[in-house]
Amino acid sequence: MSYRPILTARIGKVDPTSLDDYVAHGGFQALKRALALGPDAIIDIVTQANVLGRGGAAFPAGIKWKAVSTEPGPKYVVANADESEPGTFKDRIIMEGDPFSLVEGVIIASYAVGAHQAYIYIRGEYPLAITRVQNAVDACYQAGMLGERILDRRYPLDIEVRRGAGAYICGEETALFESIEGKRGFPRIKPPFPTQVGLFGRPTLINNVETLINALPLVQHGPDWFRTMGPLDSPGPKLYCLSGRIRRPGLVEAPMGTTLYDLIYNYGGGVTGSGELGGVLLGGAAGTFVTADDLDVFMDFGSLREIDAALGSGVVIVFDTSVDMKAVLRRIARFFAHESCGKCYPCQLGTQRQLEIIERLAADRLRPGDLQLLSEVGQTMTDASICGLGQTAHSAIRTALKRFDFDPSTGHFARFGPPSGVQEALA
Amino acid sequence: MKDATHTLTPQQLAAVETVLARYQGKGRSALLPCLHEVQAITGWLDPEICAAIGQSLRVPLVQIHEVIEFYTLFYNRPVGRRIIRVCDDVPCYLAGSEAIIRACATRLRVDEGGGTTEDGAWTLEIHPCLGRCEQAPFLMIDDEGYGHVTPEQIADLLGGKP
Ligand SMILES: Cc1cc2nc3c(=O)[nH]c(=O)nc-3n(C[C@H](O)[C@H](O)[C@H](O)COP(=O)(O)O)c2cc1C
Ligand code: SF4
Ligand code: FES
Repeated sequence: MSYRPILTARIGKVDPTSLDDYVAHGGFQALKRALALGPDAIIDIVTQANVLGRGGAAFPAGIKWKAVSTEPGPKYVVANADESEPGTFKDRIIMEGDPFSLVEGVIIASYAVGAHQAYIYIRGEYPLAITRVQNAVDACYQAGMLGERILDRRYPLDIEVRRGAGAYICGEETALFESIEGKRGFPRIKPPFPTQVGLFGRPTLINNVETLINALPLVQHGPDWFRTMGPLDSPGPKLYCLSGRIRRPGLVEAPMGTTLYDLIYNYGGGVTGSGELGGVLLGGAAGTFVTADDLDVFMDFGSLREIDAALGSGVVIVFDTSVDMKAVLRRIARFFAHESCGKCYPCQLGTQRQLEIIERLAADRLRPGDLQLLSEVGQTMTDASICGLGQTAHSAIRTALKRFDFDPSTGHFARFGPPSGVQEALA
Repeated sequence: MKDATHTLTPQQLAAVETVLARYQGKGRSALLPCLHEVQAITGWLDPEICAAIGQSLRVPLVQIHEVIEFYTLFYNRPVGRRIIRVCDDVPCYLAGSEAIIRACATRLRVDEGGGTTEDGAWTLEIHPCLGRCEQAPFLMIDDEGYGHVTPEQIADLLGGKP
């Protein structure tokens, strides 16, 4: 717990509306350093540091930066600030509290890969973040630090802030491109990958907000420093989003690979409700449930994968033993049925079937064969959907049924309190 | 509230025209920003407005309707003058969102699944995670967010009158 925040250090101290105050708090030092290093050296640093994408998919950032840098222009950089995964609020807190750092990250990435146009796509339900980031971009233009030059270097770069319009699927990178192009957010079939054919059909670097702001301390302190935090296969600082039945919900910055126990009991102050931990949902609706038996797990991409769990975007939703788990699963199933874009059948139909069965489960009206059917539907979605939404739509439900010992004959989850209905009556 | 087109005030019409002049010939990529700006003035996007947007941007009308239908923040039907979005996703549920929704629905006399009041003053929407789970239960009224809300606060937030 002696860790000193890096990514969130300025939040609460800096005036998020003032360029001068940002500079007074060390702002644009990283960009200055980046310009001195040059594009190739920046990409080497990002590659050596092994920064894994913080948007959920954990793809190595260096590989993408390198790939886009070797493509011919015009090319684009896109900051993915669509943040709609249930339980996730980290990017919002960055954008509201330290919006210039995102702008600086976007400038560094654009310079490194050779892009002259960048977009920051922010979810429509984040009006304050949109205002703050737009204001930061405007301030940089006014100071002559964007447009014809970046900082004091001649390098044309334009940044445009785009507002989403309420669609979870638009966080998926290719759906996001479609949305910027003025279309419905239907994911594209990959390959080709965005690094070759992205926005407007051109090579595009797309990264999550948190991934981009990691570039700031990284160019200043180098890859060796970065790798002193967390495991070597997924190093660096990490933002975790604590919510649910926990004493101190909120954003926690800690080294990658902090244990789940530390997050819940040391940073989060422990479990509320019954006080006894029933389970934890990691990674949001697209994530996985784990139990109190898993508290010692290291919260990094690799360690979680080993136990059939996922870090995703860093979501930690805590459930005490009194929670009605069926009402929770119903919300997760409803979420996917609602957010499926309908482009491919396994997901379009599968999310509907899944919701119907979970509705029956929640009403204690499971039919014989329902759980078998649910598992088959889930398997089909996971294997045959064309994008990550369908591929993960069954993951939380599958792990809940597996880890919380659901007994179809009684309709109980062994790890949780009274079954649905009864609990409402007791409350 | 059932009309297919609005009766816009002269000020609203002038404001829409100013926006559309700025978007003249900008093409499809400017569609979402343009829809946002126009809807901020008009509340919802009726067929006449869509046609005007299409002419200004030079985007076929069918593409505009597709987009409006796809995104939940765009409306092709009348909605209340103010929109209250109550989050009912997992962290907010754990903090009591059901009681918040019940209080809103009772107060506004609309369905617990959401709806618009008869006088057209309010629309209630049940929303997936609004990205403020650390302040659960959370709701938004237009662009303003309210965290840690209680059922007792709802009457005040909805303007005090039933
Ligand atoms: C349904 C779906 C929603 C997604 N939503 C987001 C999101 O809101 N923010 C984000 O950064 N990545 C999101 N992603 C992941 C992106 O597709 C992509 O992997 C990411 O922007 C890459 O950036 P990173 O490598 O920096 O993580 C989503 C993926 C899927 C399948
Ligand atoms: S998996 Fe679902 S969200 Fe993804 S393209 Fe298919 S239908 Fe759309
Ligand atoms: S669950 Fe309600 S804001 Fe995230």
